[in-house]
Amino acid sequence: MSNKTRYFVAVTGAILVIGLGMGLVASYMGLPVAVFTSAAGPEELEYVPADAAVVAYANVRDVMNSQLRQRFREMEPTQEHQNQFEEKTGLNFEKDIDTVVAAMMPKGNLATDPEGAFLILAKGRFQAARLEALALEHGATVADYQGKRLITHHDADRHDTKHDDMAVGFVEADLIAFGSVTSVQAAIDARRENRNVVGNIEMMRLVSELDNANAWAVGQFDAIAGQAGLPTEIASQMPAITWFSAAGHVNGGVSGVLKAETKDATSAQNLRDVLKGLLALAKMQAGSKPGMQQLADSLILSGEGKNVALSFSVPSEVLEVLEGLAKGRKGL
Amino acid sequence: MKQMSFWTASRRVFDLSLGEMLWSRRTIFMALVVGGPVLLALIVKVVELFGISALRVNGQRVAGFGIFGVMIWLLFLRFIVPVLGVFYGTALMADEVEDKTITYLFTRPIPRGAVLVGKYLAYLACTLLVVLPSVMIVYFLLVPFSALPTTFGSLLVDMGLLGLGLAVYGAVFAFVGAFCKRPLVIGLIFAFGWEQVVLALPGYLKQFTIAFYLQALVPHAMPSDGVASILQGMFREKPPIAVSLAWLSAYLVVFLYLATRVVERKEYVLEQ
Repeated sequence: MSNKTRYFVAVTGAILVIGLGMGLVASYMGLPVAVFTSAAGPEELEYVPADAAVVAYANVRDVMNSQLRQRFREMEPTQEHQNQFEEKTGLNFEKDIDTVVAAMMPKGNLATDPEGAFLILAKGRFQAARLEALALEHGATVADYQGKRLITHHDADRHDTKHDDMAVGFVEADLIAFGSVTSVQAAIDARRENRNVVGNIEMMRLVSELDNANAWAVGQFDAIAGQAGLPTEIASQMPAITWFSAAGHVNGGVSGVLKAETKDATSAQNLRDVLKGLLALAKMQAGSKPGMQQLADSLILSGEGKNVALSFSVPSEVLEVLEGLAKGRKGL
Repeated sequence: MKQMSFWTASRRVFDLSLGEMLWSRRTIFMALVVGGPVLLALIVKVVELFGISALRVNGQRVAGFGIFGVMIWLLFLRFIVPVLGVFYGTALMADEVEDKTITYLFTRPIPRGAVLVGKYLAYLACTLLVVLPSVMIVYFLLVPFSALPTTFGSLLVDMGLLGLGLAVYGAVFAFVGAFCKRPLVIGLIFAFGWEQVVLALPGYLKQFTIAFYLQALVPHAMPSDGVASILQGMFREKPPIAVSLAWLSAYLVVFLYLATRVVERKEYVLEQ
């Protein structure tokens, strides 16, 4: 064997060994995602605790600036209430909030303590001092937690010790966390200890598959269904979905895709069959209405194995029909 | 002169042939064939860096691992593996005959069959050393690191499958090269004529192809849209994994044995 051949064998062998080594380390020891690449999704996910069962995101700025919003703007109720809120807090939802991330951590029973399970992270421009002063005026307390300002409000009318107080944490200059005290503290800890949802491989896989969506939600369906306290009769009839994701893009119209991952291929096939029937019914019902027919035609069912996906598009023609209906009602 | 044992002789031929194969004109062809998917993956990566989806099915973005699966199906298993098998496998003995150098090998004190086995092993090493790193590079270009723990098992299956495919196609075409007069034409007809046509037809004939059993082992699903779903429809009938593995192993052993027997018995007449 010549030296040239030896070098070739060594180089190609090295590529294989390095690749296999990296793959094995990542598979068995959990290579942190951030080592080689930035994680999918917004940066705020670093504040979402690792045990979150559902994560949702909305680019408020995109939605507010969308043609869809402009179209329905004139039908919105009076701005008076909105202005009062702005005067007190200095916060204009339309201009000051850029994005919102919501998470659900179903620790206890969702049905009995829903507030305790939620966490909302809003990114934008906040007047912290003004908000703090307003909160103090209304009987809230302000304290530091791990170097972050935390405004806690105790509901004096509520004597149930099982329920947490609500809190707002100024976790970054342009980011606030809102939820129960436990949730907000968990958010601060999640970022500080680097034990957050970014390390949840399955969740991040679903987030990385979302494309060009300005609003989305991903989650572990079985985790929330198990904690929701549903009656056994309903729970037993629910499809065996393990993961789900919903992503939408709002602009002139609304388009999106709903995806579900089931426990096994048979459950997925059953779900596809049910959806096929519903789609056929929807198409039949929409037959005579041009706008609705377009909407029904845009519904596309796909998926293989354990995956089921339903994509849709609400075209501007359908929105015109809806707009006409809304205006007609307003006129009445 | 004392004759070498079969395996020692095979190893000597392997050493000699590996260098010859790697630095032959065929390597340029192999580099082009194997470099194509790498280039394609690089383009997909660049396109996705700009926030554009490289592949959409039914309006849905196909994730990196989905694109990797399609490339394994359509580029590697359906094209690269058979094409390398045909070009290298048929040339194992045919090149020596064409270059009139077979006499030098046959006059050495080594079993004739060892010449074919040594060359076959060199073919296998040469193609595996080029194809597998290419697959590895394509995988790391297309699949995000976050998806690595969940998809790495499939990569290992893919690599094993490509290795098996190269081994079986190589054995079949080594036999064709040793037995037939125009092996390249016959090989091309088999890989891109017979296999393609028979796979698309209903009936039992597809059992006489290699692709039928190889496809049954692919861990990836084809995206269900347009041409892809038609292809999937064609390949839907698939034998169990154990049956596929048994048939592929049988093809490998039987054709390699037959090729060795042909080389041992055939009188090669060199054209003047």
